[in-house]
Amino acid sequence: MSTITVLGLILLILMTIIGGKTGATAFLSLIFNFGLLFLAVILISWGFPAVGVSLVIGTIILAFTIFFGEDDALAAKTAYIAALIVMVILILIIFPVENWIMAQGFSLEDSEDLEGMSLAIGVSFVGVAVTEAILSTLGAIAEASIAIAAGLSEIIAQQPQVSAKRLYVDGISIGKQIIGTTFNTLFFGFFGGFLALFIWFAGLHYSLGSVLNNKIFVAEVTMVLFSLIGVILTVPITTWVMTLQHRHQAKLKD
Amino acid sequence: MKQFGKRWGLLAIILVAVVGLMGVVLTRKDAGLYHQPVGQVTHVATLNRTKTTDEFNNTDVSVTQRVTVRLLNQQSANTVRVKHTFDASGAMDQAYRVGDQVFLHLPSGQHSAATITGLKRDTALAAVVWLALTLLLLIMRFHGLLALLSVALNGVLFYAAIQIDLATNGGHVYSLFGVLAVVFAALTLGLVLGFNRQMLVTFGATLVGTGLAVIISLTVFALTHERGVTYESMQYVTQVPRPLFLVETVLGSLGAVMDESTDIVASLFQLKTERPDIAPQQVFKSGLQIGHSIMGPLINVLFLIFMADTFAMTLLYLRNGNNWGYTFTMNMSLGMVQSLISGIGIVLAIPVASWLASRLMPREVRSV
Repeated sequence: MSTITVLGLILLILMTIIGGKTGATAFLSLIFNFGLLFLAVILISWGFPAVGVSLVIGTIILAFTIFFGEDDALAAKTAYIAALIVMVILILIIFPVENWIMAQGFSLEDSEDLEGMSLAIGVSFVGVAVTEAILSTLGAIAEASIAIAAGLSEIIAQQPQVSAKRLYVDGISIGKQIIGTTFNTLFFGFFGGFLALFIWFAGLHYSLGSVLNNKIFVAEVTMVLFSLIGVILTVPITTWVMTLQHRHQAKLKD
Repeated sequence: MKQFGKRWGLLAIILVAVVGLMGVVLTRKDAGLYHQPVGQVTHVATLNRTKTTDEFNNTDVSVTQRVTVRLLNQQSANTVRVKHTFDASGAMDQAYRVGDQVFLHLPSGQHSAATITGLKRDTALAAVVWLALTLLLLIMRFHGLLALLSVALNGVLFYAAIQIDLATNGGHVYSLFGVLAVVFAALTLGLVLGFNRQMLVTFGATLVGTGLAVIISLTVFALTHERGVTYESMQYVTQVPRPLFLVETVLGSLGAVMDESTDIVASLFQLKTERPDIAPQQVFKSGLQIGHSIMGPLINVLFLIFMADTFAMTLLYLRNGNNWGYTFTMNMSLGMVQSLISGIGIVLAIPVASWLASRLMPREVRSV
C-alpha cells in the first residue's frame, strides 16, 4: 500500500475512535473537499472562468465543511450564511488586488520545475491566483464562523430572552478569543510550508527589497492576509446574522 | 471614564490607520531606497499580437509592447524605451500598464539595451497589509497588538534559525527546527495565556500531540518504504529534501495544534472554575466532546492551505498533456501527506489535552 493510503486509513480510524460519528463525517467531508478542489482545477483547465468556478466550488466546500462538522441546526445555518457573505466580500477584495499586484503564476525560482513545459496554455493565471486565494481562505472562514455561531447558539439556548445588543457584545468577545489563535494557525500553516523557499532566499542573499517584491513571496503573504481579513470579517458578520436569526425566531414564537 | 477611554482608543486606531495609509502612498516614492534601477511606466504601445499554438494544441496570444519608462533613481537619461514580450495567459510575465512601477536592468550606459526585470509590488503589498492591520485593530483593539507581537517575535526566531541552518549547511535540520518548534510553541502560548499552569498544560498537549504524529508518520514511512512520496517534486529545494519536508510539515501543523489545545484546555479550566467538584473522568470526557466539533474544520483549514498552493502547477501539468494520476503524484501528493500528518496530530492532541487537563488541574481553581 502507498504511504498516502496508510496515513489516510490511520487518520480515518483515529477520527472515528475519538470523534465517533462526527469524526467519521468530518473525514468524509475532507475527501469530498479534495474531490472538489481537483474538480476546480480540471474545470479551469477546460476553460471555465476561474472566478465563477471558485464561487461555485467555494459554496459547496463551505456547505460540506460546516454542515458535516456541526450538529446544532441553528448554529450551522447561521455559520453557513455568514461564511457565504464573507466569501463574496473577499472575492470583491481579492479580484482587484490580484489584478493590481500581479503575483500570479510562476517566478524565476520555479525555472527548474518548468523545464520542458509549455507556458502559453491560454488560461488566465491571474484568474488562477484569484481561485487559489479564495479557496485557501475558506477553511479558516468556516472554522471561525462555526466557533462563533456555536458559542452564540449556546448562549441563546441558556437565555432565550437575550437582547440583540448583548448578543453582539458576546459575539465580538468570542471572536477576540479565537482570532488570536487562528492567527497562529494561519501564520504557521503558510510559513511552515515555505521553509525551503526562505532558505533559498537567505542562501542566495536576496536583498530585503527583492524579497518584498518577489512574486512567490508576495503571493504567499497576500494569501495569509486575505485569510486573516476573512476571519476578522467573519466575527461581526456571523454575530449579525445570528441576531437576525434570533429576532426572526422570536417573532415566529409570538 | 470607561466611555472616555474607549473614545481615545478609537481615536488612536484612526490615527494609526491614517499614518499607515500615508505609509502606503509613500512606497510610490521609495525608489531611492532600491539599488536596482526603478522606473515608472509613462506610455505603452502595443506593437504586435501573434496567435501561438503549442504541441498540445493550447492557443495563446503573444503580445509585444513598447514600454516607455521614466527612470526614478538614476542620474543619467530620464526615460528609456523597452521592448517587452509576454503571453496573454501571464504564467511567467505580464502586460505593463501606464503608472506601473518596474525594476529595470540597465547595461552600463547603454539605455537602448534596457530590459524590465519585474513589477514593483511593494505598494500593493503594503496596501493589503494596511487593510488587514486596520481591520485587526478596529475589531480586536489591544488583543490585535498582542497577536501581531507574537507573529513578529516568531518571525525573528524563524529568520535566526534559517541563518543558523545556512551556517551549518543544513547539517542539523532536525535538531535545529525541532528546538525552534518547541520555542515557537512556548513563546506563542506564553504571550496568549501568560506563563501559568494552563499554559503548561496547553504546551504539553501541543508537544505530545505533534510528537506522536511524527512518530506515527515515521513508522508508516518505514513500513511502506515511502511509496508515492515524491520528494523529487518538492519546490525550491537547496538542501536534502526529506528532512526539509518533515520539518515543514511539523511547523505547518504546529499553529493548528496549538489553536486546538488552547481551546480545549481553556474550556476545561473554565468548567473546573464553574464546578470545582467535577471528577477528572468527567473533565476528560468533556474535553473529548469539545474536540469533536473542532477537529474537522481545523484539519480542513490546513488541507485547503496546503492544497491551494499547488493549483497553478497542477493546471500547467494538465494542459501539458499529463494524465490525472501523474499530475496528482507530481503536484498534490506531498501536500496530501502533509495534510494527513497534520490531521493525525490535530486528532491526537484532543485526548492528550483532555487527559493532561484532567490530571494536572489544581484541586481548587481560582478564577483567573
